[in-house]
Amino acid sequence: MYTRRWLLLGVFTAVLLPGQETVRVSGAVKQELTLAADDLSKMPRASVKTTNNGMETVYEGVWLHEVLKKAGVPQGSQLRGKALASYVLAEATDGYQVVFSLGELDPAFIDNEILLADTANGKPLFGAQGRFRLVVPKDKPGARSVRMLTKLEVVQVRK
Amino acid sequence: MKSLLAGFVAAMSLLSADFDWNLPKGFPRPVVPAGNPMSAVKVELGRYLFYDKRISVNGKQSCASCHRQELAFTDGRAKAEGTTGQAHSRGTMSLVNVAYAPALTWANPELASLEEQALIPMLGEHPVELGLKGREREFLAVVRGEPVYSKLFPQAFPGESDVFSLVNICKAIAAFERTIISMRSPYDRYRWGDDRSAISDAAKRGELLFFSSERAGCFQCHAGWNFSGRFFDTGIAKESGKFRAPTLRNVAVTAPYMHDGSVATLEDVIDRYAAGGKVRAFTLTDGDKRDLIEFLKSLTEEGLLRDPRWSNPW
Repeated sequence: MYTRRWLLLGVFTAVLLPGQETVRVSGAVKQELTLAADDLSKMPRASVKTTNNGMETVYEGVWLHEVLKKAGVPQGSQLRGKALASYVLAEATDGYQVVFSLGELDPAFIDNEILLADTANGKPLFGAQGRFRLVVPKDKPGARSVRMLTKLEVVQVRK
Repeated sequence: MKSLLAGFVAAMSLLSADFDWNLPKGFPRPVVPAGNPMSAVKVELGRYLFYDKRISVNGKQSCASCHRQELAFTDGRAKAEGTTGQAHSRGTMSLVNVAYAPALTWANPELASLEEQALIPMLGEHPVELGLKGREREFLAVVRGEPVYSKLFPQAFPGESDVFSLVNICKAIAAFERTIISMRSPYDRYRWGDDRSAISDAAKRGELLFFSSERAGCFQCHAGWNFSGRFFDTGIAKESGKFRAPTLRNVAVTAPYMHDGSVATLEDVIDRYAAGGKVRAFTLTDGDKRDLIEFLKSLTEEGLLRDPRWSNPW
């Protein structure tokens, strides 16, 4: 009964807030997620500073590994064997796609800084940035700092 | 001696540090060479020189003849024309945000100094632009005898025994050019200010096309806040080779386009890029094209085209 009520509420919410943008976390995960800005605001927050042609921007959001942790993706000592042959396919609303291996997203493997950002200099992202984006400051080119992020799909290559 | 020199350099950088660039919040300050610190009086002197037609062999042209403020410091011609009528092989480049350009001119990655670049139109003979070569002394005598200059030069170059020199003329012009800064277009107000209604819905849709790697992908070469980049061979223009991706700020007023002026309108530029050239082809509907052009138009800073700080002071 409660479940049905919640389900109905969910449907109403979806109808009432048709424009709300989200990031869908799906694929080889224990728990699929549909994250709105409100959900991200309740997760552990992190920030990175980037410099692009002399212009500094402080992006704030949630580390990508925290998002994967919430979705139940193997991490740390669990990330071994076949699980290590997995990757995250990040997709933008325009169809742009890039890939990160699980290993390069895991702080137990490497001190990377890959942020799922929702604000820049304290303001919500908008326009060509999308409501959500990735920020990968340690990459030399910006090509994997996907703007207009809409989907993170975990793909396990070895089953 | 060494410490004296270090002290001098420090004092000079302090002067530059004090210069009021009047930049919107968040935008970077230009890098200024240690040998040519900024000062308001030097900029003012540079402005007089920039608009002084006596700098040309026949008194017909100044820097401003090809770099016209109302056209975002371009000339509206496919290829530039010197004071004696000789045609240049390339189009006049905009001077907007030239202080931030890591390299100058269309195709020379080695030329990074505005002070050095200023000598090319002055003294160049292939083609003749201002035609000053061989009559430098004559022009310096004119400068020396001009009341405006006899007041401004000593103030702009304090402590120098002979302030009236070609080197100082170049320094003053370069200082003036560094102040031609565009960061207050409607798009800037939308993107970095808080004004979400500063640009039209069509321009907002165009922005998505511009910044989409899957669609037009313009930002991949025209990058960052200045929409500019290094040297690329696009295969779009008539003359092939590697040419600089210039800033797209104010691009709506700088037709015709490409280094050789071979493309007349923004519509044509987009059509040629869409067809591929030597870069990735893409598909746009007529509506997409209109949106993309609306976005490019939102990069025009009307104020810059009329601001008295950069207009003819004579």
